[in-house]
Amino acid sequence: MNDNTAVMAAYGLQKAYGACRALDGVNMQVRRGDVYGLVGRNGAGKTTLMRMVTGQSEPSGGEMELFGASGKNMRPQRCRTGAMIEIPSFSPFLTAHENLEYYRLQRGIPGKHVVDEVLEQVDLTDTGKKKFKAFSLGMKQRLGLALALMNHPDFLILDEPINGLDPEGVAEFRQILRTLNRERQTTILISSHILSELANVATRYGFMEQGKILEEISAEALHDKCRICLRLEVDDAARAAAILQTQLGTDKFEVLPGNAIQLYDCLDDPKRASYALAQNGVALLAMEQKGADLEAYFLNLIGGGRHA
Amino acid sequence: MLNYIRAEAYKLLHRPYTYIALGVLLALEALYASMFAFHNSHSLVTPFGAAVVTLVEMGTIGFCICLLTGDIVFAGQYKNSTLKNEVSFGLSRAQIYLGKLIAQTLLSIAYLVVMMAFFIALCAVCLPMEAGTFYSAPEALVIVGYFLAAGLPLWVGAQAALCMCLFLVNGEMASSFFYVGIVFVLETIFDVAGLLAGGPVGDALLTICRYFPRNMLDGAKAVVGDWMYLGKAWLVGAFWVAVCTAIGLYGFRKKEIK
Repeated sequence: MNDNTAVMAAYGLQKAYGACRALDGVNMQVRRGDVYGLVGRNGAGKTTLMRMVTGQSEPSGGEMELFGASGKNMRPQRCRTGAMIEIPSFSPFLTAHENLEYYRLQRGIPGKHVVDEVLEQVDLTDTGKKKFKAFSLGMKQRLGLALALMNHPDFLILDEPINGLDPEGVAEFRQILRTLNRERQTTILISSHILSELANVATRYGFMEQGKILEEISAEALHDKCRICLRLEVDDAARAAAILQTQLGTDKFEVLPGNAIQLYDCLDDPKRASYALAQNGVALLAMEQKGADLEAYFLNLIGGGRHA
Repeated sequence: MLNYIRAEAYKLLHRPYTYIALGVLLALEALYASMFAFHNSHSLVTPFGAAVVTLVEMGTIGFCICLLTGDIVFAGQYKNSTLKNEVSFGLSRAQIYLGKLIAQTLLSIAYLVVMMAFFIALCAVCLPMEAGTFYSAPEALVIVGYFLAAGLPLWVGAQAALCMCLFLVNGEMASSFFYVGIVFVLETIFDVAGLLAGGPVGDALLTICRYFPRNMLDGAKAVVGDWMYLGKAWLVGAFWVAVCTAIGLYGFRKKEIK
């Protein structure tokens, strides 16, 4: 499904509020078919970036492309997007149906049934005459998602979309995103503090810190980097590799610089590896089990400390 | 643009505030008309024409109703953060701004029509038609008609000033203060400054003062039937719409949506 066509790209994107640099030369690319998880702690610049993509804020410098178009006028391209930035906002005195009908008319989306369909999609059909002001946070999030989906966008931009959803809602939301991505080829840019949930849907990640993208990585590459393994430090890595192949019959390892080996086998019985190496005269200097989840990887990337 | 105005109309028709505000205004009108009827029952005879012609003394209320209709249409866009939904879909800032201005103006005109029709109908039902020494019904309607024709562009000019304030100033309350400042207070400042300055500068300031909407509307009372004045009122109204909309649009285009 993914190809290399960039749906959205940023080149040295900057945003300054006085002396504060909210974005400091962001370079990133969201390719068609990606579910791009934007990871960063509070104040890293995720929302600022998304606000810029949606036209709520103008960059102070750099360039941004949306569906291949750049410059000031990206309105036709923005019509192909759906967005939910920060807290979902609607007229408090209207019901869910009335709010969506208002935006349907405003956007010139044909067919009244669209509103019912999208409300059904987010499981918000039974709110009746309840006004938006009386909605729970979860209901507001669902309505925000409904608005974002109403025009069948090619590119969905979601900022903290699962805040306030109950576990069932989170699961449904995940399913909606997967369906959109797989069946409609919708490209998704999503940020969330719930990294375990992001890990369930993202196919690519961008790690953000202090207004910069530190790293962009595919989910597969991240999975490989985070795989649980045995890290062996030996006196002769080449010999050790040969021993692992011949004695243990495995090729699930990587030889790293500095006479280190990452072994993805024998995880339940590390003694087998150490015994085989010792028997063949290879000195095992250190052995540890390694592996990380998305959160640990992110914290390691930004140098530990506070949470995302 | 048509889609935008249709959507605004949909929202207005589904907003209780629209009906409540109109209901309150109509109730006040009914109270006002009933005062004439009450007086009539105590031998102070006020006929239809005399009652209807008092509308020209209430032109300033039109500027206050602009505040109301502006608030109904703008509907707390900054407070509720709903502008982001419009901008992020790719609607242009000009479309949003002009759409709101047109919706406000249409609502004001609808209010004006309903209120005028209601008051005139009420007076026709409750008050005697015999004019005596007062204005006859046709004479009164001509006076009111002229006043409305002169007032309409000036009210729309004031509406444009309010729209500018609503888009450029965060918060309806603060916007209302700025609007009152521009439409009511600024003219007084020019007036006082003109009187204090004297000479050509003072004359210039007093001339500017005359072209504020409220002063133009007050002037219309004394010149019923003067087509030159009517034309001037339309030019002044158009000038206010153009200037306020240009400033408002320029500012709104630069504004960050938060």
